[in-house]
Amino acid sequence: MKIIKRKWKPEEADRWTKEDAIAIIVSPIAYALLMIGLALSCFLLIKGFIILGFGIILTWFLHWVIDPKLKAISKEYEKKQRDFLKHLDNIIKWREYE
Amino acid sequence: MVRFSFLDWLWLFLYILLMTGCGILFYRLGKRSEADFFLAGRGLPWWIPGISVYATHTATDTPIWVSGVIYKYGLRGIWYTFFSAWCAIAAFVSARIFRRSLAFSQAEWQSLRYSGLGAELLRGWMAGWGAFLNMFILGWVGMAMGKLCNYLFGWDKWVGLIIPSLIVAIYVLSAGFWGVVMADFQQGIVAFFTILIASFWGVKAAGGPSAIIEKLSSLGEMWRLNPFHFSGFFKGDFPLSWFLTMIFIAVLGGFGMGTSIDWYAEAQRIQSSKTVRDASYSIWWGTALTLTRNSIWAVAIIAFFVIYPGITDPQQYEMAWYRIAFEHLPAGLLGFLLAGIIAIHFSTISTHLNLGAVYLTRDLYHHYINPEAKEKTLVLAGRISTAILLGGSFIYGTMMEEITKWLIFALWIMGAGMWLPNILQVVWWRFNSWGYLSAWIANLGFSWLIVWVLPAFGVIPELPDYMQFWVLMILTALVYIPVTFLTKPEDMRQLTKYYAMTRPIGWWKPVEREARRIGLIK
Repeated sequence: MKIIKRKWKPEEADRWTKEDAIAIIVSPIAYALLMIGLALSCFLLIKGFIILGFGIILTWFLHWVIDPKLKAISKEYEKKQRDFLKHLDNIIKWREYE
Repeated sequence: MVRFSFLDWLWLFLYILLMTGCGILFYRLGKRSEADFFLAGRGLPWWIPGISVYATHTATDTPIWVSGVIYKYGLRGIWYTFFSAWCAIAAFVSARIFRRSLAFSQAEWQSLRYSGLGAELLRGWMAGWGAFLNMFILGWVGMAMGKLCNYLFGWDKWVGLIIPSLIVAIYVLSAGFWGVVMADFQQGIVAFFTILIASFWGVKAAGGPSAIIEKLSSLGEMWRLNPFHFSGFFKGDFPLSWFLTMIFIAVLGGFGMGTSIDWYAEAQRIQSSKTVRDASYSIWWGTALTLTRNSIWAVAIIAFFVIYPGITDPQQYEMAWYRIAFEHLPAGLLGFLLAGIIAIHFSTISTHLNLGAVYLTRDLYHHYINPEAKEKTLVLAGRISTAILLGGSFIYGTMMEEITKWLIFALWIMGAGMWLPNILQVVWWRFNSWGYLSAWIANLGFSWLIVWVLPAFGVIPELPDYMQFWVLMILTALVYIPVTFLTKPEDMRQLTKYYAMTRPIGWWKPVEREARRIGLIK
């Protein structure tokens, strides 16, 4: 079994898994590295370019991990969206939903 | 006052023409339905709402605020702008949950998550508060433009408050969110390049990156390039405890909905996205762009510092980025700079005009007054709501000096004690509408006491804002946790339906079991 799952069945993608946990942890670190790295790079400081480089690699890794899952969720959810919109319509009209 | 050449005015005129023309182009799409007028038909690829997120969060007063913290604290001040990093987690958690709910607004989401009287009370309250808040932001940002026009051209402040907002209203009234998001797209691009070019010129004026470092060194100010230069754990003007609190609030806030005031504008962009994936990427990349823009601003403001060190009056150094741009850009590019500033102003105004109208139309008019309204009537209601917000914002704008202090306090109320309830409502099935309502009321009272009344009478010392956050969070929890357990859970039928739609993260086991038992999910 692979450490990072890249092929998803719709019912599997609906669950919260370790791929989500990785995205949750990596994403704020990537933001901080991109922000600080870019500012220091503009002053032509070596450490700035290194931090920025790590930020770009983490951003790529984040998307590599989470993108297949997001695609699977989106594909499956679009099928159900029409029914859910009807539910929303009933709520706005104050009707009891069965 | 700044002197404009013919080329400067030409840039400006062409840009405004492009902007309003764009709105009129999307008139036919905007009038098709309520979902078109407020969510652009829920069909946008991620990069359109993504640039809109960036454009909306670049307002006329943003460079003033960023200049203030960077000039005062050096590069470590950039952490003040890191509050927008709530999108780091929100992009993959709350955006996914909210997009799947299909709610037009946060107020509508409340009536999907909760049930009965509590849900209705929350929806009405959130809608009223949302409309008021957007009107206030419109007045605030409008007045910032009034002040800028006064600085540039010597015009009366009301001219800058009213005229740009009226131009924006042309395309917001015509095309609704279609006009907003399409104009935002071009405004975002123009604003990005304007900030880049003007900041580059500022750095050049200071002698370039190496000269800036040399000057900082000779001034004994090299600490300004260290983003982690803390003054102690609790002591000094930049304590580590503040930094840790900020990281905690900003990053973990992404598990909730409404933990940041920016959530409400983002919520509209999340719903306008074509799929869950588009929703996630729109706010992730929009925020990435916003954070890197702050880096570029920070560099230009440090350049300003080496040209003008030792300014102690905040009103002077808060204009750092505007000054470095207007004083150093060559003739012909000044109009381009002002077009960029107009772009960031237009995008903020248009967003809040349309967002405020969502609450008035969808959550108040459609839900409570005319539930059977036809699409044509709803689009008309949307336009009337937009006009009401516009008029209200002018009144707020002219009163701004008197009410700003009160309203900043009101915003603080939303942020501190409500931070945890805004997360709990997403991650914990047992948290109910009465718990959420009691949190609002308790937080109102405690904020009043902790921030103003008790320090004024010398009962407690005046606490720094990050300490206030912890105190308010704990005190408010002492009210809403017992209230939640002493009142009934939400109706299980409502919860299972909500669960099947949104698949929330966190503690939802009893609801998941019930949803499986009745066959709502496999």
